[in-house]
Parts: sequence; C-alpha cells; structure tokens
Amino acid sequence: MKFKTPVTGWVLLVVIAVAAALTGCGSSGSSSSSTSSGAVSSSTASSSSSPSAASGSTLTIADVAPFSGPDAALGPTYLASCYGATAAINSAGGVLGHQLTCKSVDTRGDPADAVPAVNQMFATTPNLALVIGCTSDEAASVVPIINGHQMVMFCMTGQSEFDSVHFPYFYRLVPPDLEESYAMVAIAQQLHYKRIALAFGNDIGSQTFIQPAIAALAKAGMVLTTNQTLDLNASTFRTEAEAIIQSHPDAIMTEALGSADPTLFQEISQLNGGKMIPIIGTSAAISPPFFKSAAAAVGASTFANNFHADNLVVESSGPAFQAFSQALLAQQGKVPGATGDFTTYLSAPGGVHLYDGINLAALAMIMSNSTSPSVYGPDIIKIGNGVPGATVCYSFAGCATTLKAGHAIRYEGPGGPTNFDSYHDSTGIFQVDTYSASGQVNVVGNLTAAQLRALSG
Amino acid sequence: MASFGFGLVTASVLAIAAIGFTLQFGVTDVLNLAYGAVMIAAAFIAYVINQLGVSVWIGLVGAVVACSAGSVLLNAGIYAPFQRRGTSPITMVIVSLGMTLIIEFGVQAIAGGTSVSYTMSQGPTVTAGGLILSTVQLVVIGLSVLVMIGTHVLLRYTRLGKAMRATAANKTLARNCGIRTGRVITITWALTGALCGLAGVVFAMDAGSFDATSTDLFLVLILAAVFLGGPGQAYGAMLGAVVIGLATEISAAYITPDYKYVIAFVALLVMLGVRPTGLLGASQ
Repeated sequence: MKFKTPVTGWVLLVVIAVAAALTGCGSSGSSSSSTSSGAVSSSTASSSSSPSAASGSTLTIADVAPFSGPDAALGPTYLASCYGATAAINSAGGVLGHQLTCKSVDTRGDPADAVPAVNQMFATTPNLALVIGCTSDEAASVVPIINGHQMVMFCMTGQSEFDSVHFPYFYRLVPPDLEESYAMVAIAQQLHYKRIALAFGNDIGSQTFIQPAIAALAKAGMVLTTNQTLDLNASTFRTEAEAIIQSHPDAIMTEALGSADPTLFQEISQLNGGKMIPIIGTSAAISPPFFKSAAAAVGASTFANNFHADNLVVESSGPAFQAFSQALLAQQGKVPGATGDFTTYLSAPGGVHLYDGINLAALAMIMSNSTSPSVYGPDIIKIGNGVPGATVCYSFAGCATTLKAGHAIRYEGPGGPTNFDSYHDSTGIFQVDTYSASGQVNVVGNLTAAQLRALSG
Repeated sequence: MASFGFGLVTASVLAIAAIGFTLQFGVTDVLNLAYGAVMIAAAFIAYVINQLGVSVWIGLVGAVVACSAGSVLLNAGIYAPFQRRGTSPITMVIVSLGMTLIIEFGVQAIAGGTSVSYTMSQGPTVTAGGLILSTVQLVVIGLSVLVMIGTHVLLRYTRLGKAMRATAANKTLARNCGIRTGRVITITWALTGALCGLAGVVFAMDAGSFDATSTDLFLVLILAAVFLGGPGQAYGAMLGAVVIGLATEISAAYITPDYKYVIAFVALLVMLGVRPTGLLGASQ
C-alpha cells in the first residue's frame, strides 16, 4: 500500500534533530514560576543586592525546585513546608512588621533550566528574603548564582561538594548523599539482606548515590548482583526488570523518581510471577505523590509490605512537632501540586527541614533587626547552634516572644537540634521508614552514627 | 524469549502510533510532531475519566473520541490555514513543534508535573514458551493486530481508503478525478487522531505510570519506525514498528539496556544509508 515519499534527506535530518531537541525539551523545558496565593508583594526594588525590605512590605520566600519533570514531587513538598511555616509566622505577627509569602520557581530538575529560572526570579521578585529547595538536580548551577546575589538559601542538595566548599549564604540541614547511601546499606544489614541490586535514575541527584553505595556494599560484605541505570525519559524498564530478577537479589536499592520507579516496580512484579522484590528507597521516596504512583503500580499493600526507606530523624511528638503539624496540616488543600496523603509531608525530609530553615531565617531577621540576608545570615548559626545560656524554644511564635524579651534562644524544630559546621552544614542521624497501606509513614527503626561510620570509606 | 515478548509489546504500542502518524503524514502532508503531545493528552483524558470511578477501558473510548475531534480541530484551526498560505513543509514542522510544546505544557499546567497511574488491574500473567505477558499486554497486542488488519481493509477494500491513497499520491489529480480531497483529509485527521488517542492510552497502560512529558522519547521511536518503513507507507510503519520494538528490547538483553535506543537508531541510520526511502519506500 504505497503512498508517496516526499521527504528528502535534509528534511529527514532536520526532523530527527528537532525530535531529539524535543526529547531534551520534554525533560527540561522552559522555566516558569508562580506566586502562591495570599499576600502580594508591594516593593519594586530588586533583591539582587539584598537590601532591607520597605517597611510593611511582604517578604518572599522562593522555592527553587523541580515542579515538573521526573522529580516534580519535590517542589510541592517544599512548598507545603513554606506554606505551613509562613502561615504560622504571619499569624504570630510576621517578621519586623512584614508578612511572608511563598513563590515557586520551577527548575524542571535540570541545571540548564534552573539558571534562567533563578535569574528571572531575581529580576522579578521584589523583597526576596530567602531561597529554599535547591536540590541535587540543580544546586551545582544555582548555588553560586544565589550566593552571588547575597541571598540566604536552605538547600536540600546532598552533593558532597558542599561539604567542603564555603558559600557564605548556603545552609543545609540534610546530609550528603553518600551518607544516605550508607544508610540504605545499613537498612539492608538490619533486614539481613545479602544480595543487593541497584536501580538508580540517570539524573544527577540519583547518580550520586551509586558509587558510595557500591563501596558500602563491599565493606558490608554484601553482593552487588546488578547495577541498572534507569533512563527517566523511557516508558518501560522490562529489560532492566528482567536483569534484576535474573540476578536474584534479596532487595533492590533505588531512587528513580517520577514515573520510573513505579513502572519498574510494576514490571518486576509482573515478570516475577506477581511477587515483589523488597525495595530500599531514599528519603526522596517519602512523599505522597511517590506513594500514590507506586501503590497504583503494584497495589498499596504489596508496596507497603515491601518498602523501606532511610529518612532523617524527625520528631513525631513534643512541642516542636505539635507546632509543626498544626501549621502544616492547616495548609491541606491549599498547596498547589500537593497530592496524596497530606500527612506524609510531616515525615518528608524537605517538609520538615525546610520548615526549620524558614523559622531559623525568620528568627534571625528578628534577632538582627534586618531583613537583609547579608545582615541576618550570621545570626542563623547563633540561633541554630545556640549560645551559652540560650533558652531552647520550639516554634516561631515562642522563639520570637523570647527573643523580643531580650533573651538568647536556641531553636529546636521538628527536625531536632541543629549543629552547623563551618560550611553551614548540619546533618542529623537517620531513621528507617515504611508506609502503611493507606500511605501513612511509620518509623520502624533507627540507624546510629556508628553504623554509618562502619560503612564509610 | 522474554525479551522477544517485551519487544512484541513495545512494537504493538509503537505500531498503533506509527500507523496513525504515517497515514496522517501521507495524506495531509503535515509531519505532525505534536502527535506525541496529543497521545499524552489522550492518556490524561482517560486518566480523568478513570479517576471518576469509571473503567479505564471506557476512558480509552472517551480519549479516542476526544483525540479524533481534537485532531480535526488542530488541523482546521492551525495547520490548514498555514497550508493555505503556501507555508513550506519545513516551516510546518516548526509549527507542529510549537503545537507540541503548547499541548504538552498545557497538559502539564492542568494536570501538574507529577506522574500518575490508572486505577486498573494488569490481570493475570500468562507464561508460555518463555514469554511472560500480562493480560493487559495481550490485549494491547490484540488491539495492535486489529488496527493493522483494519488499516489493510480500509486502504485495500473501501472507497475511503482508495480515496486516501489517491489523495496521498496526487492531490490535484485526485480532485480532478472527482475525489473530494478536502473531506478525505478531514476524515484522515479524524481517523489518525483516533489512532493517536488509542496509542496514547495503551502507551500509558503499558508504562504503568506517566506524566506530561512521557511521550517525548516515544515520539522519536515513532519517527524511527515511520522512516525505517518509509515515510507515508502504512505497511512500512507496521514493519518499522516491529523492527524498532524488537531491536530495542532484544538488544537490551545482550548488551547494557543503556544502549537499547542507540541500537535502534544505528539500525535506522544504516537502513537509510543503504535504502534512503525506507524499507517499503518507492525507489527514487
């Protein structure tokens, strides 16, 4: 059945080039940003030189993170913490007469898209007071830019390069990825697994786990059965799933966000006679969208019965948790892009630690009596680490009252005590999380620092 | 043998998409790169229906109807006006690329950036002779076979099919012979839009989890299948889909899966080097 053949060679070349470019666009695309509902910024001053905001104006906290692409679940997670923290701060009177608002800046999880998005953010966001987010996907490209604008940032990147490079405006409440790799191997040890398969996405944020994990597996005396890289643009992973099954692992260590991991789980289940192989995920898997997709792929109870993830230790009771949960849960249904069981955000590392970061920054503004990052930044350390005689406090409202009464404070939020080093890194210890069949997060164990040290190089 | 089964499933999804794409191109002269974006729009339409508590198979029907109508509108509102102005083929490609981004990011703006899954069962797994296929995958293969047979019957035995072939071969001559080419083109957009919708939903069923950008790489595979078989060749698209589908999955079993798409495109380039018009393309 022949039609004509009107396409000449040069057209074919253009088509394939365009199609290839399209594939790139799909994973990266253009940047976009949207401001959360609520307060409206009134100042017209650019924030690039980080001046103090005009009296009574609204300060903006920018969530620089993926809101689309494979890691699209991260942005809304951080935004949820921003909404919760700012609402609590605003209801406690705000900061130096300013109300706070949140703004999402979509990096698409791609450094090439993140740079123009961040530049646009600085150009168009008056009264920018703080940046949160900056995951491993884009941190290497945007942290120098944000630092160059003298803007305080609380980042979620785990990249080890930030362990020893000093960016004065960079703060981090999460550990480097290699420690998380050790934590995953430690979970495998606790569960008495001997043979481990790796399946990580081909994005920057996931690839950083592999070499530390391989080293830690060797140190733990475990067998690496296979190491599969998942192309996050692919729609099926049947061959990878088959290779994993044929290697007969006791468990799979994985981080391939977006649709990749759920698709892999489904195909493993299908090719393995309906039986799921146990999964050990990273803390990024503790998010409602991830649970929703994975549960839909293999069934909620099957997934819940076969999944463990490392996660930073977070409070699940006490005054800090009470304030946090009250603030966060009040935002249910209000956060753009937040889907699934909202209570999962109470355990999501981004949800907890960026809430703490925002509170630390807001309290530092009060302490320094300035909204200029170059002025309030140093006080973040004093409030986080505390000074001798400081009063421990657990919420913005309580801490602000104590500060205004003239007392030194040490803020301890739901992420626990902070201990910033000279590079502004404060890393906690890990816990082991599972999901219930309804998507709620359960803490089933803890990992000690000694366990992780034993697995480190 | 398992890899052969995986290849069959990939080839089946690819064949449905490639047949629609190549028919559309052959009859309408539009190399519609927005095809992949329309596919994912179809997948989300079925998802919305599915989320209302309705079977995804009914959602599939809804998506097919919606994409059929949407494709007709896409042509009437965008492509046809450009063609009437004598826009060059390469410019039409750029127009379709623009439509891709508009549709894809439009879907993303509405549906969000996170991945979603249908609420459906994959059904019992069937194992035979080393093949391991779920019931849904068998249905997808069956649908693909039906589409191929249907396309053959349409083009070979119906007046519409003959009119489509005549329009594709020489539009002016066809019009002079009394064929209402405008109507044929509109019907072609409707039919290929329906195939696009069907391909989008079965793609999403097969993937298990999908987002607004999931068909980006798949569009490149569609192009590969179409050009391997010979652009505008319905049977060529079927053959190209089988070759690309099997090549990607079987090669992945013997080398690292990282290179499975590389193998497919090396095969395409070699083929085009030896026979530029594709497997079933007319000799130049």
